[in-house]
Amino acid sequence: MSTRSDRAVADYLERLDDLLTRLPDATRRQLVGEIAEHIAEARTGLDPGDEVGLLALLDAVGDPEAIAEEALGAAPVATAPPRSDRFVPWLVLLGGFAVGVGWLVGIVLLWSSDTWRRRDKLLATLVVPGGLFLPVLLLGMGGAATATACTSSGGPGVPTVTHCTTSGFVLALPVGIALLLVTVLGPILVAVHLDRVRTRR
Amino acid sequence: MVAGDDRDPVAQLRRGVAEPCVLALLRAGERYGFDLARELAGVGGLVAGEGTVYPLLARLRRRQLVETTWKESAQGPPRRYYRLTAKGKAELDAFVEQWQQFRSTVDAVLGGDR
Repeated sequence: MSTRSDRAVADYLERLDDLLTRLPDATRRQLVGEIAEHIAEARTGLDPGDEVGLLALLDAVGDPEAIAEEALGAAPVATAPPRSDRFVPWLVLLGGFAVGVGWLVGIVLLWSSDTWRRRDKLLATLVVPGGLFLPVLLLGMGGAATATACTSSGGPGVPTVTHCTTSGFVLALPVGIALLLVTVLGPILVAVHLDRVRTRR
Repeated sequence: MVAGDDRDPVAQLRRGVAEPCVLALLRAGERYGFDLARELAGVGGLVAGEGTVYPLLARLRRRQLVETTWKESAQGPPRRYYRLTAKGKAELDAFVEQWQQFRSTVDAVLGGDR
């Protein structure tokens, strides 16, 4: 497969996908999938290195604008976003404090809404599970781990407990701070992003 | 380009007849989506490109005028075939009748003395 041809196809499909953002998620994905299949099928009759042939092929498939116009012209009225949308960023961010259930509720609402695209949903689910509850949890566990390390090495002989604590702490500190920053800033930025996507619609 | 100016009467006419034309292509039996798209784009002037046939087919499917089935293919992934429903056939028959009346009316007006 010629990579330049592959890129031309990928660009074409991405342009189409961008033009269809007003469509419900499932409808958009299905249409882009069908066009992708159509192009793939048409390419089987083409020499892989034939870039001119590929451009002619894409021309026959039509302007992404024309396809989008056909799709949006009589689109199922993209349903009004559910009222629960406004709570989603908050639930994803802070819901974890409600015995973890709040976060789960937020994630379910997030995935069942057409307001956000799949990449937004993935991002919000992965960064980070539990929202701000996770760094709090980590902080607790980190404290416990340090304490355990100290007592165990403090067991044999007559060790200097202070020395043990400092070495353990020095190693963990940069990693811990980085982890804490990512897990605190990550969910906040993602929640802000979710809310911006929501209000833009 | 077929798509474009909303005030272009021919463009509007095309938009109106594209759906019944798809139904008519299915009258003889079920068809593979790819072939349908190629044929419709091939007759010229009816659709803006092969790709515009898919949103059209999706619309017909939502209105239950066509139904689809998946079939294994010798080469490549399974293919989606389109078939006319009873509702689709009724809609097509009604359109054919209306179109014949419409066409003779327009012809008579345009031809003046005819």
